[in-house]
Amino acid sequence: MASEDEVSLLVIVVDVNPIWWGQQAQREPEFNLSKCLDAVMVMANSHLVMTRTNKLAIIASHCQESHFLYPNKHWKAGDVAGDEVSSGSGDGKYELLSVANDLVAEEIRNLMARTQVKGHQTDTLLAGSLAKALCYIHRVSKELEAGQDMKSRILVVKAAEDCALQYMNFMNVIFAAQKQNILIDACVLDSDSGLLQQACDITGGLYLKIPQKTALAQYLLWVFLPDADQRSQLVLPPSVHVDYRAACFCHRNLIEIGYVCSVCLSIFCNFSPICTTCETAFKIPLPQMMKPKKKKLKTAN
Amino acid sequence: MAALSEEVLLVVKRVRQRKQDGTLYLMTERIAWGPEGKDRFTVSHLYADIRCQKISPDGKSKIQLQLVLHTGESTTFHFANESTALKDRDAAKDLLQQLLPKFKKKANKQLEEKNKMLQEDPVLFQLYKDLVVSQVISAEEFWASRLKLSSVEHSLSNNSKQEVGISAAFLADIRPQTDGCNGLKYNLTSDIIESIFKTYPAVKQKYAENVPHNLTEKEFWTRFFQSHYFHRDRINTGQQDIFSECAKQDEKGLKSMVVQGVKNPMVDLLSLEDKTLDEGYGSLTVGPNSSKTVKENSNSAIIKRFNHHSAMVLAAGLRKVDAPSDQASETSSTDGNSRDSDFFQPPIKKVKLQEAIEYEDLQNGSGPKTIALNLKKSDRYSHGPVPLQSHHYSTSQDIINSVNCIQEEISCYKPCLTRVMPSSAASSAITALSPGGLLMQAGTQQAVSQLVPTDVQSELKHLYTAAGELLRHFWSCFPVNTPFLEEKVVKMRSNLERFQSTKLRPFQEKIQREYLSTNVRLLLLVNL
Repeated sequence: MASEDEVSLLVIVVDVNPIWWGQQAQREPEFNLSKCLDAVMVMANSHLVMTRTNKLAIIASHCQESHFLYPNKHWKAGDVAGDEVSSGSGDGKYELLSVANDLVAEEIRNLMARTQVKGHQTDTLLAGSLAKALCYIHRVSKELEAGQDMKSRILVVKAAEDCALQYMNFMNVIFAAQKQNILIDACVLDSDSGLLQQACDITGGLYLKIPQKTALAQYLLWVFLPDADQRSQLVLPPSVHVDYRAACFCHRNLIEIGYVCSVCLSIFCNFSPICTTCETAFKIPLPQMMKPKKKKLKTAN
Repeated sequence: MAALSEEVLLVVKRVRQRKQDGTLYLMTERIAWGPEGKDRFTVSHLYADIRCQKISPDGKSKIQLQLVLHTGESTTFHFANESTALKDRDAAKDLLQQLLPKFKKKANKQLEEKNKMLQEDPVLFQLYKDLVVSQVISAEEFWASRLKLSSVEHSLSNNSKQEVGISAAFLADIRPQTDGCNGLKYNLTSDIIESIFKTYPAVKQKYAENVPHNLTEKEFWTRFFQSHYFHRDRINTGQQDIFSECAKQDEKGLKSMVVQGVKNPMVDLLSLEDKTLDEGYGSLTVGPNSSKTVKENSNSAIIKRFNHHSAMVLAAGLRKVDAPSDQASETSSTDGNSRDSDFFQPPIKKVKLQEAIEYEDLQNGSGPKTIALNLKKSDRYSHGPVPLQSHHYSTSQDIINSVNCIQEEISCYKPCLTRVMPSSAASSAITALSPGGLLMQAGTQQAVSQLVPTDVQSELKHLYTAAGELLRHFWSCFPVNTPFLEEKVVKMRSNLERFQSTKLRPFQEKIQREYLSTNVRLLLLVNL
């Protein structure tokens, strides 16, 4: 039984890229965004129920913004009774859970309603959502009472593909999380994400690509519900081998052996006498040409 | 055969060496001896090899001269000419005395260098021992390559070698020993003599003037110690004393020292004066005291002599004996005798002032010149190691369709948490996650059921069902509407607690003791 002093904060970052989910709804009608959100809510409820002092936050990662689905800015955990009288769904549920669920539903509805179609913004703003999660964790840690200890982790439910343009921000977020001892877990629905693999490897979290989307809730509860201390006691999917190879600057191929410019540290797969990034000329001493020794020919006279 | 081009400085006939008559030749660089009748030298030593020479004492019948080499060997020459033996030997001795010091330094220096190198570097020493001592390579080969390297460094360091200073107590260290009958015996070593000469150049001058023409060394020193110059009270200097001039010179030097004062404008010596009133009461300037008692006079004389002695000792350390040209040093005038101290006063003052005002660290440091880095294509860095893949190209129509679709779907979204997934999907997920399942291929292949023995499993099952039953009762009381339900809730709570303490805790401890890595997740869930 966790004591009053241990606070565990879980931040769930859900990828709600409307383009991907819209296409997904056409591909596989039995698993759509609603089902995904249901599964996430189950997990969120379970987390809140595990211990009284557990905290939760849910962020929706859209292609135009990152929005907090829970908690709401204008809502405090205290005033539950003051709000909607009809909040109780009548099934005797813990009020916090029912309120939370309704809140999340309302927020996602509003979020999708105000989505505008923009052709050039099709990527999920994942790095931004992670940064917001880190800031939220930081804020909550400052608001703790004296003597309370907080452990936090971030769970990323990823649907769409990686965006290469967010690489720098992503890496910064990962290293910031590592410094703060915040775990980043990843549950990937569709295609493997190298960035998230790195994130999980560096921060010590779990990376899982699930084979069956319909059983998302089961995976979430089994693998991602226990926190870091309990995971050492459990038998969980082993960690994935992460590909840390660098990509060359000229072709963007992943290389194992390459040439690095000593001035600007850019990586190339082939040697070239001039670095194309900083325009430094390099001289490599060529091997000495040995003059062939002339043999004295004995002229027999 | 001796080289004919060498210049012969001295030839001494009738010199015996090893009971053989012969002739001794002193050349510019070496000393040689050849037996009578032969024109070949049997004994030849370079001056550089000679460490020192010794002469037989005066009283002995045999008049001999011995040369001791660096290697430890010694050669003895017996001057057998009846009439001129002593003169010959002394002539040879004097010449050697003049010549040896010239060569001595070179040889010594080299040897010293070698010794120093060997001492400093134990690896080198070991190498030397292994190779040269055991005669694998000769000493010359060993040093041939090494000396060249070190000679450059050493020449630099030798020039700035520090000279040994003079102990301020050198005069006091000459403790006189009573001779038994009212006499005092002073032991003077050459070190002490050197210190005296360095500190008091006036005494050195006197020595040069008087010895050996007027006085022998012994007499000179006897007079020195007898003179009141050496003793405390110098008041009666009227006597016929060669050192009275020295005393006068010292007085003059002291006076000029006082007049010049201290060069450093930052030092304020007057603030060290005694104030006769207490602190905070102002100061009372004491007028110059003109009346002096005899006692005060002698006290002031002692104090003056102490000050003078200290000043001379300091000056001696700074004065460079070798350099004939007076180097411009700030403190060259501390002995009061140098004439060009006034020339240096303004620049010295300026330097001191500068030092006091400026701090190096506070000034804008001119760091090393750097070359700016200019990057032409810096956006390459921000692209991660994600290989360029062909994106799914979505037409704008696709995008519009998807967005509309999702908007429709979510607009009527209501969480339905009781039907999240079909049980078949859940069970297949569980099998995939169990050991040996799809996702656990790289992990442990053993199922948990094989790790844990069956009795523990059955006990766990029993506990689980019991706990489940209790919890079901507990949760069915909610929402608490009736007092009956309220009672039941409280009762169930106490039951649960009792169950936990009596059944769960011991079980948990037992498992923890015996099995380190078992699945206690159920216990954790039950612990709520």
